[in-house]
Amino acid sequence: MRLRTVGRMLAVVVALAAFSGTAHAETAAEILVKMDKTVNGFDDQFMDNTMTIINIDGSKKSYRFSILQKGEKRLIRFSTGEMKGMANLIEGAGRVYAYLPGQKKVRRVSAHNMQQSFAGSDFSNDDMAFTSWPGNYTAEIKSQDDNYWILTCTAIPGKSAPYPAAEAKVKKGTYQLDAYTFFDEAGKPIKSFENSDLTDFGGGLMRNKTILVTDLRTGHKTQLEIHEFKVNQKVPDSKFTQRELEWGR
Amino acid sequence: MKHKTTLLLAGVILLASGSAKANWAEMISLSGSLESDVRFITDNWRGAKKGQGYEFEMNRNDINLRLRADPTERVQAVVDTRLRFFGFNEAATLPELISRERIDPFSFQLTEAYVAVRGVPWSKMDIKIGRMIQTWGTVDMFNPTDNLNARDFSDPLNFMDKVPNQMLEIDIYPTDWLTLQAVWVPTFKPAQLPPSAVLGFALEYDDNGCVAGFPAPPLDADGRAVLGSLFSADGPFGIDLDLCRLNFANPEVRTVMPKAGISNSQAAARAKFQAGPVDFSLSYYYGRFKFPVAYTAVADVMSPGGKTSGFVTDSKTIDPKKYNVKYVAEVMYPRMQVIGADFAYSSDNPWVPGFKAEAALILPEKVDFGMSAFLDGEKLDLGKDPANPMRTITSTNGSGKPFVKATVGVDWSYSDIFYINLMYVYGFFDEFNDRFGLHHFFVGATEFKFLQSELQIRMSSVLDMTDLSAMIYPQLTWIVAPAVELSFGYMHFFGDTSPRDPLDFATKSRFGQKATGRNVAFMKAKVTF
Repeated sequence: MRLRTVGRMLAVVVALAAFSGTAHAETAAEILVKMDKTVNGFDDQFMDNTMTIINIDGSKKSYRFSILQKGEKRLIRFSTGEMKGMANLIEGAGRVYAYLPGQKKVRRVSAHNMQQSFAGSDFSNDDMAFTSWPGNYTAEIKSQDDNYWILTCTAIPGKSAPYPAAEAKVKKGTYQLDAYTFFDEAGKPIKSFENSDLTDFGGGLMRNKTILVTDLRTGHKTQLEIHEFKVNQKVPDSKFTQRELEWGR
Repeated sequence: MKHKTTLLLAGVILLASGSAKANWAEMISLSGSLESDVRFITDNWRGAKKGQGYEFEMNRNDINLRLRADPTERVQAVVDTRLRFFGFNEAATLPELISRERIDPFSFQLTEAYVAVRGVPWSKMDIKIGRMIQTWGTVDMFNPTDNLNARDFSDPLNFMDKVPNQMLEIDIYPTDWLTLQAVWVPTFKPAQLPPSAVLGFALEYDDNGCVAGFPAPPLDADGRAVLGSLFSADGPFGIDLDLCRLNFANPEVRTVMPKAGISNSQAAARAKFQAGPVDFSLSYYYGRFKFPVAYTAVADVMSPGGKTSGFVTDSKTIDPKKYNVKYVAEVMYPRMQVIGADFAYSSDNPWVPGFKAEAALILPEKVDFGMSAFLDGEKLDLGKDPANPMRTITSTNGSGKPFVKATVGVDWSYSDIFYINLMYVYGFFDEFNDRFGLHHFFVGATEFKFLQSELQIRMSSVLDMTDLSAMIYPQLTWIVAPAVELSFGYMHFFGDTSPRDPLDFATKSRFGQKATGRNVAFMKAKVTF
């Protein structure tokens, strides 16, 4: 009898606990912060990738490059293709440097260059420099179902959001960003990103291994496949300097 | 000395040795490219003789290999080489036909070979020793503050290649916003000139095979008047400007090279600052101008039936009915100090172009040009400077007064579609404010990209606003596949091939003169790996 009573009480406590969890519905801002923490919330991260550019006729070309990131800072190095040896250092919004092997020179990249595509892909340099959702967008929950929240994101004026608006599909439970679309000022969709193939890159470090970007105006696509993903390697700030850019030449 | 250098290097590397890498595969990286370049001359009026042209100028294949070894995180060794096959048979005699090197000539070049050590002897200091190429300055290509390496203009289509040199470089990074750099270059190396450079001193011939023009020496108006009087009716030759009466041997140009002493080494220092949207640097360079500057000239003339001087004329080429002339000139590389400043401004606003500017205050060595003439072994009295018998006509070819070279530029792009770069340049690479002076240039480059940048159309042009000569350089590049590029293009020069005044050095046309090169169409292929 006692055991039954205790069991019932426990069941009630568990049910109450579960109810209280759903009773506090997360706000869009909280979801955005948690999603960003899942995607960017590491002291530092390193990715070795193959980028495959898929033309409308289905023809493909691939480049391999690595990204080392810490906060807003990124160091990108190309290891194949006609850009082999090229490297980009993003110190922050508006502070981008490129190492040009042909000229053996580090050159400051002007803001207008950031609109250009990244190595002919559907990523722009702005996309590559984009490292913080809550720092650049405010969010509202547009809709949700059992699995996903759909967030409508609006660029914060004066910040460095790559596009005026976005819609993000965030997985409930894991806070993985499984898809997102950017929109222009008129609200027309520009680019969509579909992240798939959630993979354990070691020690429970989960990341979507494949990112498919579609330019919705042209139908052109780029697929990014992550081969290696490491985080919290205690990468020093000195790795994100022109000294490093020159050193790796 | 060699042992000391080796010990020093070994010591530095020992100090830097950190955790060694596990295996060679981790330590070594190899990259490079294979390039093929075919060019066809599309004129027949810019060669040594009229009618030469409409033929292949180049059939070159390059294999570039760059090996980088990182034995530890703090040590790096780089070897960058080029194997170049020229693609034209050079065997001119039967014995040479047994030599593969003559039938298929090639050269091996060591572009870079250096050791870099990081954080030694102080964590914020790097040292590099060896054969290197440095590029200073913020503007594109036309960098007046970039003087450590000489330019390599062996390929007239490539303004960016340089002649490597051995040097010691020390970089100090005291703060995030400041980089200090000091470089010492023990020995001097001159610029490599384009094959067409010899035409700058070549004779012009008319349809009858008579000399129609010869290289004008850098003389002032008085000197030119004296030189002109030599060929007048009452001058010592008495030919009354009838150049058909001259048997002019090809001029010989000798270079006066600086000795390899320590006083001829080069040194430079630079401080680079980052301040918000602006990057700027201040620099100082002590060394020499890398392009030759005219220094002396001797004209030795043997009259019809006159005596040979021995110095000038080769008995085999003497025409006993004509005035036989040999012209020997000397060029030198004047010392200079360069105080430089440059900046690059980058706005956060993508609609605002990037601004870049660079200026160099050059404190040059004075260059006095002297010219003398001999007739039948007797020195001619040209009445200019009797106190100096070897330099009868003297003229200042470099005043020694400070002068400025500068470049100001803007660039802007719209998405992936369009890029434009406009520059004003005061003083071309090889201009030293000598008798030719410094010219004003407008440089423009536009690029249109299509098909996700796979197809690029670029038009570059340079207008000499001083003499209104110009060059245009349209180019189509097709990235066939990642790492594979095909380029087609054309380079054309506009301007007079002969100086407006045949005796006035300063009236040569910048891009019109034949020394600049030929009009060519080209096709290039490049594979990067």
